[in-house]
Amino acid sequence: MLIKLSGGRVYDPAHQIDGKVLDIYIRDGRIVSRPRDDETIDQTYNLSGKVVMAGAIDMHTHIGGGKVNIARMMLPEDHRADPSHHSALCRSGCGHAAPSTFTTGYRYAEMGYTAAFEPALSPVNARQSHLEMGDTPIIDKGGYAMIGSDDFFLRMLAAKKDQNAINDYVAWIMHASQAIGIKVVNPGGINAFKFNQRALDLDEQNVHYQVTPREVLKALSRAVHELGVPHPLHVHGNNLGVPGNMETTLKTMGASEGYPLHLTHIQFHSYGTEGDRKFSSGAAAIAEALNKNKNISADVGQILFNQTVTASGDNMRQFANSTLGSPRKSVIMDIECDSGCGVVPFKYKDQNFVNALQWAIGLEIFLLTDDPWRIFLTTDHPNGAPFTSYPHLIKLLMDRTFRNEMFAKLNLDAQAMSTLASIDREYSLYDIAIMTRAGAAKLVGLHDRGHLGVGAGADITVYTDNADREKMFAKPDYVFKDGELVVKDGHVVKVTWGHTHTVKPDFDKAIEKDIKQYFDKYHTMNMENFKVSNDEIAEGGRGGIAVQACEGRREKSL
Amino acid sequence: MSALTFSLKQELIQKLDVSPITPDKLSDKNIGEISATLLWYGKQQLRADNFFLISGLDTQNIVFDNCSAKVDYIGNGMKTGRIIVNGNAGAFLAFQLQKGEVTLNGNAADFAACAMAGGLLLVNGNVGDYLGGALVGDRKGMRGGTVIVKGNAGERTGDQMRRGLILIEGNVGSYCGSRMLAGTIGVLGDVDDYIGYGMKRGTLLLTKTPKLHATIQDCGTHTLPFLSLMFKSFRNLPSKFSKINQNRVQRFAGDVGNDGKGEILVLQ
Ligand SMILES: [Zn+2]
Repeated sequence: MLIKLSGGRVYDPAHQIDGKVLDIYIRDGRIVSRPRDDETIDQTYNLSGKVVMAGAIDMHTHIGGGKVNIARMMLPEDHRADPSHHSALCRSGCGHAAPSTFTTGYRYAEMGYTAAFEPALSPVNARQSHLEMGDTPIIDKGGYAMIGSDDFFLRMLAAKKDQNAINDYVAWIMHASQAIGIKVVNPGGINAFKFNQRALDLDEQNVHYQVTPREVLKALSRAVHELGVPHPLHVHGNNLGVPGNMETTLKTMGASEGYPLHLTHIQFHSYGTEGDRKFSSGAAAIAEALNKNKNISADVGQILFNQTVTASGDNMRQFANSTLGSPRKSVIMDIECDSGCGVVPFKYKDQNFVNALQWAIGLEIFLLTDDPWRIFLTTDHPNGAPFTSYPHLIKLLMDRTFRNEMFAKLNLDAQAMSTLASIDREYSLYDIAIMTRAGAAKLVGLHDRGHLGVGAGADITVYTDNADREKMFAKPDYVFKDGELVVKDGHVVKVTWGHTHTVKPDFDKAIEKDIKQYFDKYHTMNMENFKVSNDEIAEGGRGGIAVQACEGRREKSL
Repeated sequence: MSALTFSLKQELIQKLDVSPITPDKLSDKNIGEISATLLWYGKQQLRADNFFLISGLDTQNIVFDNCSAKVDYIGNGMKTGRIIVNGNAGAFLAFQLQKGEVTLNGNAADFAACAMAGGLLLVNGNVGDYLGGALVGDRKGMRGGTVIVKGNAGERTGDQMRRGLILIEGNVGSYCGSRMLAGTIGVLGDVDDYIGYGMKRGTLLLTKTPKLHATIQDCGTHTLPFLSLMFKSFRNLPSKFSKINQNRVQRFAGDVGNDGKGEILVLQ
């Protein structure tokens, strides 16, 4: 089957193509070069006047795993209020803030997204996460294994184990949990919470292990780099949501001593303590540091006003926030030797000073950070807002007039504390394509996604250009997933199953001896059962594993 | 004007959701529109006249004749008027009832008066479990109104009840008043084990001392003047409770496992 996408205006930042009119050819799910004149083209889509981009990639969205499921169970009102009925093609589902798995897949695809990554896959819960993602149709997916507060790793750090052993453990975790990255949440803090610490700063010791978040960050960022894993250590820093946490965030940027770090939902970590209410924007300083430190990338975690639910591995901060929840309920959980989590429903209000300023801080960071290859478009779904609000967020970034109109409706005290109205920058379609396609693919390490070059997987989204960017990005004309037309005019027309992207870094298998001993002594499951196999993920025709290339093991870097 | 009557034509195989058939939702509709009302039947939506012979004109007085336990959500969210059900009713009878009256001449399945907020539900028969409870997953049950049951009620009667009155003339299953937050439940017959389990506040009024679990505490015998006022307020209710006038009770407090401010009063 040879398909021609004819005459669309193409935005492909990976190849520096900025709105050039080009034909794209697809054969057997891949983008191919222009065929010979005597080859028959089976199907042609006339895309003249349309905007063509690679399928969008959400590099941080909570779509599978324990805490999402807790959020689903906790919020029957969320599900009742937002039902989606079954159709001849799609299954029924429900949920605005925490949609069910099938609905998640359909809604992403209908918005032109073809991949989404679960950033907090707890290794002990990896099977559950992959099963949920296995029920999420159409889009590709993957997960970042969450370690750094796990007992085994903290023991290694406390015992001053050699970096090579740590690298082996990290690689083992990535294999066992079928991950494509490593994430650390409140480094060491999830564990410190279990020893009754209620706050933990970058250089503060965990009372039990006597290790600091800085040591955790250094060991893990180095491990990820030395293993050749393309995605840098994914960091949810200490002190999330705490006024004045911008200092911690600035220090965190230096904690890896030059190794790459990705700071996630940085909006929640960019608060100062100025003003009458001791809560102010740290966006300018954070953006300046991002501009300066080329080894650091970030996604924003923009908040948007409405009911949502916050779900995080950060039990320490979620416990502190649990009294602010609306509706007032919460789950704070200890998860075996590995981690913890906290789920707190939240309603962001534009007339609330703090929420309004959070909204402005997020946008300030977007607009003050120069390099779109190192800042990513997220709402930390569902923590800042559900992923379905991305088109609205894109409009805020691309349309200054609209942004200023929205800003003028905010809590007045918050307006007085923000410089947002004075920022003229508007993102271009090219910038958006970087943030949501080329940059995201590069950051996650998806070599054959996020671009439209020959050999790439044919994940392609076609939009009708519209000055109202929210309308444009909410309803693509066509979405192709691996060369198949899956969405037409914003509605699913075919249900396919995406790949689960992973990396498989080399490691010394001898580490399993220590790990097995540890499992036998402390864990509730056998080490072998902890591992998620390739077959489990492919079971029932639900996609399969796609192994992305690792750059190979680097001994002693820097 | 004769009551708008829905007479069930045949035995149902699937559950039938009659939420759209209430006086307020049909008030401005003609018979053609009423017949065409779409109802969920299992997983399909079908016209009301597929299931019912429809007659009468008075949309403020609706009657279900020959009704069955497969008919769910009778009186859903009703705000005005009156519904009389002859035969049995399915789950969620008087679900989120706000105002008006629902009378059942037969037995109801589970979740009758679920999340009810006001009005009157009168059952001349028995009801299933979770009478006056919360919608699954919600933290608060019935919020107001009056429920009178002439027969027996199942388990978990008044689970998480927040306000309002439930009066049962027959017996009640186990866990009566479980996790109750406030409101009043009266029972003339027997109650099964674990009455007031996890009860936070609220009042359970009984005529016989029940079997009590360990975290319900005996507080001795008292004369409580407020009972006279309460029974006076029952005078006009179509229930045997309207005949009671007594204020000497043995008082138990609980569930101490959950705040313990609830009370179980046994008339002496
Ligand atoms: Zn997140």
